[in-house]
Amino acid sequence: MAGMSWDLMGHDWAVEMLQQHLVSGSLRHAYLFSGPRGVGRRSLALRFAQAINCPQPTAPGIPCGECRVCHQIENMQHADLNILQSEREGDTLKVEQVRELQHMLSLAPYEGGYRIALLLRFEEANDSAQNALLKTLEEPNPRVILLATADDSENLLPTITSRCELLRLRPMALEALALELQSRRQLDPERAQLIAHIAAGRPGYALRLAEDESLMAARSAYLEDCLKLTGFSRLERLVFAESLVKSRERAEAKGELRVELTYWLSFWRDVLLTSLGEAAPLANLDYRREIQRLADLTGSRKAAQIVGALEHSFARLNNANLQVMLDNLLLQWPLIRD
Amino acid sequence: MKLTVSQAQLAHGLGVVSRAVSPRSTLPVLNNILIATDEGRLRLSATNLELGITCWIGAQIEEEGSITIPARIFADLVSTLPGDKVSLALTVRTQSLNIRCGTSNFDIKGIDAQEFPPMPIPDLASGVELNVADFKDMIRQVGFAASADEARPVLQGVLMEINENQMSLAATDGFRIAVRNAELSNAIANPVKVIIPARSLGELARIATDGNETVTMVVPQDRGQAIFHMKDAELVTQLIEGNFPDYRAILPRTFKTRTIISTTEFLKACRQAEIIAREGNYVIRLKIQPQEGGPGAVEFTTQSEEMGSGEVVVDANIEGPELLIAFNVRFLSEVLEVIGTPNTILETNANNTPGMLSPVGDESYKHVIMPMHLG
Repeated sequence: MAGMSWDLMGHDWAVEMLQQHLVSGSLRHAYLFSGPRGVGRRSLALRFAQAINCPQPTAPGIPCGECRVCHQIENMQHADLNILQSEREGDTLKVEQVRELQHMLSLAPYEGGYRIALLLRFEEANDSAQNALLKTLEEPNPRVILLATADDSENLLPTITSRCELLRLRPMALEALALELQSRRQLDPERAQLIAHIAAGRPGYALRLAEDESLMAARSAYLEDCLKLTGFSRLERLVFAESLVKSRERAEAKGELRVELTYWLSFWRDVLLTSLGEAAPLANLDYRREIQRLADLTGSRKAAQIVGALEHSFARLNNANLQVMLDNLLLQWPLIRD
Repeated sequence: MKLTVSQAQLAHGLGVVSRAVSPRSTLPVLNNILIATDEGRLRLSATNLELGITCWIGAQIEEEGSITIPARIFADLVSTLPGDKVSLALTVRTQSLNIRCGTSNFDIKGIDAQEFPPMPIPDLASGVELNVADFKDMIRQVGFAASADEARPVLQGVLMEINENQMSLAATDGFRIAVRNAELSNAIANPVKVIIPARSLGELARIATDGNETVTMVVPQDRGQAIFHMKDAELVTQLIEGNFPDYRAILPRTFKTRTIISTTEFLKACRQAEIIAREGNYVIRLKIQPQEGGPGAVEFTTQSEEMGSGEVVVDANIEGPELLIAFNVRFLSEVLEVIGTPNTILETNANNTPGMLSPVGDESYKHVIMPMHLG
């Protein structure tokens, strides 16, 4: 019941807890929202920020969602919402940026409510940036609240995690998410089901897929690449790797590779699960046939090897020579001649 | 919105407010200047959410309205227009501003004025009247002692306290403390104790030109802001939250050696010594030598491993025991530049305790500096 009033998908328990803190006047000075990308960490943090600063809540702890403050917070354009994040997803958050934030946090709130710091993808902060924030976390000004998001609290310094109220956000049940997509976005049941599976229960990610046709098209293209590569000779694979990386800026190539590898990984994980005969839900329902075929042809050992190789590449995106990394990855791809 | 203004006044106004524009902000509207009609005048405002500046200029207004326009583009454009009447007209539907002057005709896209962070409207009746020249002097004597270190935000500010008609400004960076007291012409009802960013006070000193005789300071209760209002301009600054160190407890009360020395000679000795000292770590040693039955002398020495060494001797009136003490020479120069009297008092105890500089015959200014190691 309470969860519905913040108009979010899932995380009812978290909403209830945050509302409780707000209404009973026991706000913590720092919250950490952890969970996989697209699970709704930022949406929850922003709604919380609205609830804290909305000048005309419809009920205690429930922001109106209509006023200027609510709108500006929703769009991350509010004067008392100080946002800290790396320039691009996958980049590093540096200590200078933390210092700038600290300066703003030392000032009284502009509009007189709370000054809220939103630290997005804080796992991208390097150690010195995290350490720089410790002092703020230990003794923030009374009208400052820090809201951090991270993929996993394990990826932050323990000194950071221990100073925050930790909310671990988990993906929704696939059925529940599919139903939400049907009612909120008027998707037909089959498509809702498909998107819920691709998003693996992460509502934020599912909404983006539902709203942006081009994301689904890009996904199909990436998965076609993934399949096509199994029929390529070694030379053709190297040419393909070159085409992805050559004559592009590294940051741009890295950005796209991050997305492409994500889809490949979800595909090969499906193959692995299928080859092991697991009943776990597939992420790529629409590729059920191809997944089954590859599982039969490659077997679980090979599938596990590719999943491992993909995870290995993923972890090295930031520093590796992208072409060498791709060459290395693609040479391990199984060769299937029809 | 439809109006005409003089190009010179508009260019001047933009110059005043654009210091508060935030060039790289996550809020696009902060790159813009708010342009609004305001009771027969044109109001220009900019803010970086720490410091906001507003400036009013005369205008012939045909139609009321407001818009925000990218600061750089607008200022660059206006500065190139001929010194003539400039016509501004807003097309509300497209949120674009038409700028017409002589044969030039430009359209600039803006952002809705509603997006601009609300600027407070001060209740001037509750304010404190300050004499511009005196207040600028106070800022000049204290502001430079504030810290530049982002890691200690409270020290980046100047502590302002007002009790009845007693006002004080204080700043410290952990190595020195500057304190200036003043008496106000009128006592105020509610005491004030706020920390104002030193940068904001610096900007205030810049825009408070001598044409303004008084500035009205308003500190609304619990709003975390201070507003400085002048006839044609207004500055709003966010206050720094936190506890300012209790500097009064650190100020030494008694001294053993008291040296009175010509400010110009003292400053000259520091400037000369700095030429060598800047090659090292800015250490200057003062050998304070009293003399039985006559004036003493202070010997300033400096040396750098690579550049050589130097000494300057300046006559001084010294009471108390002899002392050898070292200071950061730039800290000394910076005080001597603002001390404002022909002679300066330097008071010291030992080579490991702070020294204090103050103007002779003026109790209102005190500057305490930590000594350096003699090395």
